[in-house]
Amino acid sequence: MTAIVWIDEAVARYERPLVAYAWRLAGDLEAARDAVQDTFMRLCDQPEDAVRSHLAEWLFTVCRNRCLDHLRRCRTERPMDATADEPASETHPAAPIEASESSAGLLVALASLPSRHQEVVRLKFQGGCSYREISRITKLTEGNIGFIIHTAIQSLRAKLAADPVFADRAARTPTNA
Amino acid sequence: MHADTDHDQDLTAYALGELPPAAAAAMERRLVTDAAGRVEVERIRVEATALRVAFAAEVGAGLGSARLAALAASASTASVVTSPDASTGRTPRAASMLRMRPTRSMLMLAGGASLAAAALTCALIIPDGIRHSHGTGNGGEVPVTMVHHQLPPIGSRLPLAKKEEMPVSVTVDLDETVEPIAILDLPLQERGIESQAGLECDVKGPQVAFMAVGSGSPLSGKMAKSRLQVGRVGVNASEEMDDSATVESYDGVGDNPFHASVHDPLSTFSIDVDTASYANVRRYLAGGHLPPKGAVRIEELVNYFPYHDAPPRDDKPFAVDYEVGPCPWEPSHQLARVSLRGKDIDLSHRPAANLVFLLDVSGSMNEPNRLPWVQASLHMLVDQLRADDHVAIVVYGGESGLVLPSTPASNRARILAAIDSLHPGGSTNGASGIQLAYDTAHAAFVKDGINRIVLCTDGDFNVGVSDRDGLTRLLVDEAKGGVFLSVLGFGKGNLKDETMEAMADHGNGNYAYIDTLGEARKVLVEQMSGTLITIAKDVKIQVEFNPARVGAYRLIGYENRLLAARDFNDDRKDAGEIGAGHTVTALYELVPAGAPLPEAGVDPLKYQTTATPSSVGAAGYELMTVKLRSKRPDADASTLMEVPVQGAVADVDATSEDFRFAAAVAAFGMLLRDSPHRGHASYAQVEALAQSGIGRDEHGYRCEFVGLVRQAAALAAAGR
Repeated sequence: MTAIVWIDEAVARYERPLVAYAWRLAGDLEAARDAVQDTFMRLCDQPEDAVRSHLAEWLFTVCRNRCLDHLRRCRTERPMDATADEPASETHPAAPIEASESSAGLLVALASLPSRHQEVVRLKFQGGCSYREISRITKLTEGNIGFIIHTAIQSLRAKLAADPVFADRAARTPTNA
Repeated sequence: MHADTDHDQDLTAYALGELPPAAAAAMERRLVTDAAGRVEVERIRVEATALRVAFAAEVGAGLGSARLAALAASASTASVVTSPDASTGRTPRAASMLRMRPTRSMLMLAGGASLAAAALTCALIIPDGIRHSHGTGNGGEVPVTMVHHQLPPIGSRLPLAKKEEMPVSVTVDLDETVEPIAILDLPLQERGIESQAGLECDVKGPQVAFMAVGSGSPLSGKMAKSRLQVGRVGVNASEEMDDSATVESYDGVGDNPFHASVHDPLSTFSIDVDTASYANVRRYLAGGHLPPKGAVRIEELVNYFPYHDAPPRDDKPFAVDYEVGPCPWEPSHQLARVSLRGKDIDLSHRPAANLVFLLDVSGSMNEPNRLPWVQASLHMLVDQLRADDHVAIVVYGGESGLVLPSTPASNRARILAAIDSLHPGGSTNGASGIQLAYDTAHAAFVKDGINRIVLCTDGDFNVGVSDRDGLTRLLVDEAKGGVFLSVLGFGKGNLKDETMEAMADHGNGNYAYIDTLGEARKVLVEQMSGTLITIAKDVKIQVEFNPARVGAYRLIGYENRLLAARDFNDDRKDAGEIGAGHTVTALYELVPAGAPLPEAGVDPLKYQTTATPSSVGAAGYELMTVKLRSKRPDADASTLMEVPVQGAVADVDATSEDFRFAAAVAAFGMLLRDSPHRGHASYAQVEALAQSGIGRDEHGYRCEFVGLVRQAAALAAAGR
């Protein structure tokens, strides 16, 4: 029953963000859990020094690849299964149990964004990754990540204009210098 | 159009901390004059916090226990891999060995059902200079002994949750000619370490260097042993990667209690015009964390905001006003707002200024938001100066000394060049930075002018006076010489909040925390006259309550500014300063006479009666009398003002916007402090109250406050 502190901490810190991330990529909770478990198994084989400085990036990259593998297998094995092609559908069973109304509203609004935007937003605000790390994970350019984050925030703002958390403070704030 | 889009994207990246330092600095400069941009940055940060909170609240799915068990089994077979990189390239000749021996080789975890295996890497590093001068000369290279000690685990995979104590003793065997510095490098994810037994702790980011200097005894030809007892090492193993969890220190001061007017009719305190606590709280909230309770000083929150009290019409230094209305968080109580409004001084008619910038250039200032911000802030200040003002620059902490002798502000280019040439780091020597600053200020003293030291630091007080008492004495002595002090705090991570505040107190000064360049603009440009021009010093307030009207009272905030009643008339007792145009607000929560007292601590007294003589006649209608003592900036004797307070507004809607807003800020502070007196206060109530009190809000400070309330509410709901 031995484990290593840093792996322990990595599991504690990233277990749920990774499952949430993988769930949306793979579209299937069990497949997502498989991918995350596999990711942490692989982490155990890594020298701490080799991954520590970019742990989040490493975890999300490996997890993402596991999910993409899963999707590829699905297509091969069950080419008629259409659900795998819509990994980030709005009907996703995200169940924000304790989320406040505004948080729930935010998650609903998020689910209506393009799936790539959702992924990048999750990597940024759930995974805590930097633009650079997200760029390496998703193979998009850093500039592209900056554009997606900016656009996603703007469109979430528009969608939730009536929500208290996003209430239009700018309109209330005088624009003088 | 395209450029606009790029700029918008950059604003988002800036708000999220994604711009590289140079671009971030350029953005900061741009934002100083771009109010809309500042609003947008703040808005994005609120939204980012909302997203983080939403994701954290999305309790969804974890791996499940079966998978976690499989994972734990897998992890148990993994090898501990560490590399002794700390010793790479270092080949000290002295035979040295460092052993680390946990006397209780386990980390007990909360709940007792957990594991922790820690690889502690210990490296012994001999400073170059010592190595060369003390080499044994036989040419033999003796490697440093590296000890990788793996602590045996117990239990299974729970993460470290609470601060734990790990008793460790370290034995250093060393050559008698060597004074090594042992660096125990703990490659754990712990976020902080506390030392006892007089060791020095140097905390840099997630890595913790623990420094101890061994004393080699001067034996010859033999190995001497020196044992360093490292005492208990507190390992704080928070899983949060939070860059604010560091060695910042805050004094915890409890909230003022209620006092019964019959027994305790006098409330005495020193005014406080500092606003640092508000900026610090804002910094915590922007970072997605509720502030530590000790960092919340309610009076500094309330006094952060300009109010609309009328300035004095006579030649007095300030006007006193008051307002009494219902207490929003406790409907059976009343709230009294007492305000002091310093007279305005037209900047074009202000006296000449003799400023000495005392700047911390120690290595820790080498952060994008420290020395570069100091420089940007001083640029703003210098831009406000007139040709007949003077500026000198003294640095400490790195290269110490006088960088710029007192120079007329007409030579702006030279002053700015000196500011821009500053760089952090360099050797530390014991130059008496603060003494030099005072000496420089005295040498260029302007009679009847503004004589002030502006200290900019991130909390390093190695200003040349080693102990805190010595520093206090120096400040108190120098304050009598007519030179005032402004302390500007920068950066985060090792902010010594209460030390900086205490310095400003002793040095007849004010303390502001610069969490953004916008704050620098507020302190040094918008409120420059208040920051630099002291119009009255040693301002004390004493309120006498009429037991016939007020059963009990409680001063909200000012906990570390309380004075003994007898100190009020003692002109030797130091107190706070008020600057030109400053408003100082004090709030009292009042329990009307006859209403039940909120605290059961005091039994009714047998021989006292609440029916005092003042319940009749004109004075009988008075709730209280506000007495003020203050001195002119150059005077030694104080003058007294008295203002009786009577009448109260019954309906909160009939109170002024300033009253409601100040009440909202106080309630916000009580919520953040988790005050026992918060009553029915809630974030929703605070927000509604603040909204109703926004008023003109020329600079947008009050709107910003509403945003902070929402952010705090979201964080509190998420249990952060």
